[in-house]
Amino acid sequence: MIDVVLLVRRSLLTTLRVPAAIIPSIAISVFFLFVYNSGLSSVSALPGFQGSYLGFILPVSIVSAAVSGAGLAGQALIRDIEAGYFTKVLLTPASRLSIVWGPMIASAILLVAQVVAILLLGLLLGLNPATGWLGMLAVVGYAFLWGMAFAGYAAFMALRTKNSAAAQAATFAFFPLIFLSATFVPLEYIQAGWLRAAAKVNPTTYVFDAMRALLNEGWSVRPLLVGLAVTLAFASLTGGLALWEARRATRLA
Amino acid sequence: MTTDSDRSITTSGLRRDFGPLRAVADVDLAVEGGTVFGFLGPNGAGKSTVVKMLTTILRPTAGQALVAGYDVQRQGAKVRSAIGVALQDVGLDALMTARELLALQARLFGASAAEARETAERLLVTVDLSDVDPKKRVGEYSGGMKRRLDLALALVHDPLVLFLDEPTTGLDPVSRAAIWEEVRRLNREQGITVFLTTQYLEEADRLADRVAIIDRGRIVAEGTPRELKRRVGDEVVDLQFGDDGEAERAAGVLAGVAPQRQVSGPEVRIYAAVAAEIVPEVVRRIDEAGLSLRGLSVAQPTLDDVFLRLTGRRAESADAGDQPAEAGGGSDDAVETGSRGGGGAATDAARTSDAGGRTASRRQEVQK
Repeated sequence: MIDVVLLVRRSLLTTLRVPAAIIPSIAISVFFLFVYNSGLSSVSALPGFQGSYLGFILPVSIVSAAVSGAGLAGQALIRDIEAGYFTKVLLTPASRLSIVWGPMIASAILLVAQVVAILLLGLLLGLNPATGWLGMLAVVGYAFLWGMAFAGYAAFMALRTKNSAAAQAATFAFFPLIFLSATFVPLEYIQAGWLRAAAKVNPTTYVFDAMRALLNEGWSVRPLLVGLAVTLAFASLTGGLALWEARRATRLA
Repeated sequence: MTTDSDRSITTSGLRRDFGPLRAVADVDLAVEGGTVFGFLGPNGAGKSTVVKMLTTILRPTAGQALVAGYDVQRQGAKVRSAIGVALQDVGLDALMTARELLALQARLFGASAAEARETAERLLVTVDLSDVDPKKRVGEYSGGMKRRLDLALALVHDPLVLFLDEPTTGLDPVSRAAIWEEVRRLNREQGITVFLTTQYLEEADRLADRVAIIDRGRIVAEGTPRELKRRVGDEVVDLQFGDDGEAERAAGVLAGVAPQRQVSGPEVRIYAAVAAEIVPEVVRRIDEAGLSLRGLSVAQPTLDDVFLRLTGRRAESADAGDQPAEAGGGSDDAVETGSRGGGGAATDAARTSDAGGRTASRRQEVQK
């Protein structure tokens, strides 16, 4: 396991050395928080809406940060493959798991730092989380797992294409994941049947539900458990795919 | 204490196909532990493919290979912990510093944090990078510095066998000499077996105890540099003429005396068992033909001569731009080889190698 720790640390170090790559991610999540909160907060006046719009839109800001984090993990892997450093590490006793999960976990850790900042900003804007500090901690936990899930997909695509532009293009798949969901209004207000159907099969909907429950409702067991199950399943699927692809692409003797 | 057999490399029938292309064809090699083995060949001959198979990066299509006593296909992890590898394309992280890279590599091989720091410092001294600003990131290093760092990274776990794939390609003479010195020292002081691929015959000649020449995936010669040089004759006689035309004519006139001749511009090189035995006859025939000899010298053949004879082209012809300064003149020539009418004897199959579309300023011919 020491190899995982070493490679996570190395990924954190190298990511932080290119601040220009992290800043847009922070800017986008702040953008989501401010712009949508200001522009759409009247949604909370609709009948049946529970809690504040800020608590409702904040998970969108978190998930958008997870997208950028995942992109960083994918790019980091491609950079290593292109520089030949990937092969160098493959020739050490480090496990395939650590080589692939290193950048994934690092990006999820950076996401956690970003989520903490988003939550603090939310508090400044008047967020009053229904579940208190413990609930915010849980939001951070969901964010970490969700970050791993997206990073797993990005890592899988990076290893599969081994090409910077192709891997970048593959992250466009995140857009339907974010927007074909109960992104800006609760599911019951969505008119289009197709969008409701898409939202129901979109795993992002369930992580939104869980985070929103924590921020706006309280300790509601059902959305929290469903959210956890979906997030874990999604993270296992993409993380497993990334590992499988790594084993396949780097099959040493 | 490790015995020499623990440091050896043996392959039998080693083969690698890429689709319909056979990149490596049934290669048999035996590298004794504690020696420096030079693996020579032009670009695309299969050198790197052999190295990748021996270092477990690539699976052989067929055949067997033992490195440091372990089977590369079945005991990959054991092979990897016994070998150090510096590939042709260095594998470095441009965002990290040399110390960070070395310490991380050492830790991945199982060293503690303190041991890893110590190893990093020691190896930086070894490859002469200890004076570099510790904060300098590897991305700002020169090509030669990167190579030296890459070599240091291959040494963090005290490997028994070191693979160096074209370690000096593209380096300036000073950096090249530094790498040579380091390879010699590692071999001499630590008994590390070195498997070195190169396109530079001079490099193999200076460093290697034994040499194998690979061409189109096949081993075409193997032996000590001395043995290989003997194959083309023990001595060479260089004759200088006023112009290229005279040299051509002289080569024709000398067919009866010297069956092995090579024309290079205004020079003719002939191979002989004992130069002194043929020189009088050579001079007489040149004189009779009315040609004026500008100079004559006797020398030892180089591996370059061996290579040219065996593969029909110069080793460096494919990337003449990267020539080592020491390699001497004539190396930036496009090379044409083939048979000439004169002797009538069976000759090498005519083969032309085009050096990247470059116009031939001089022409070389090999005759048997």
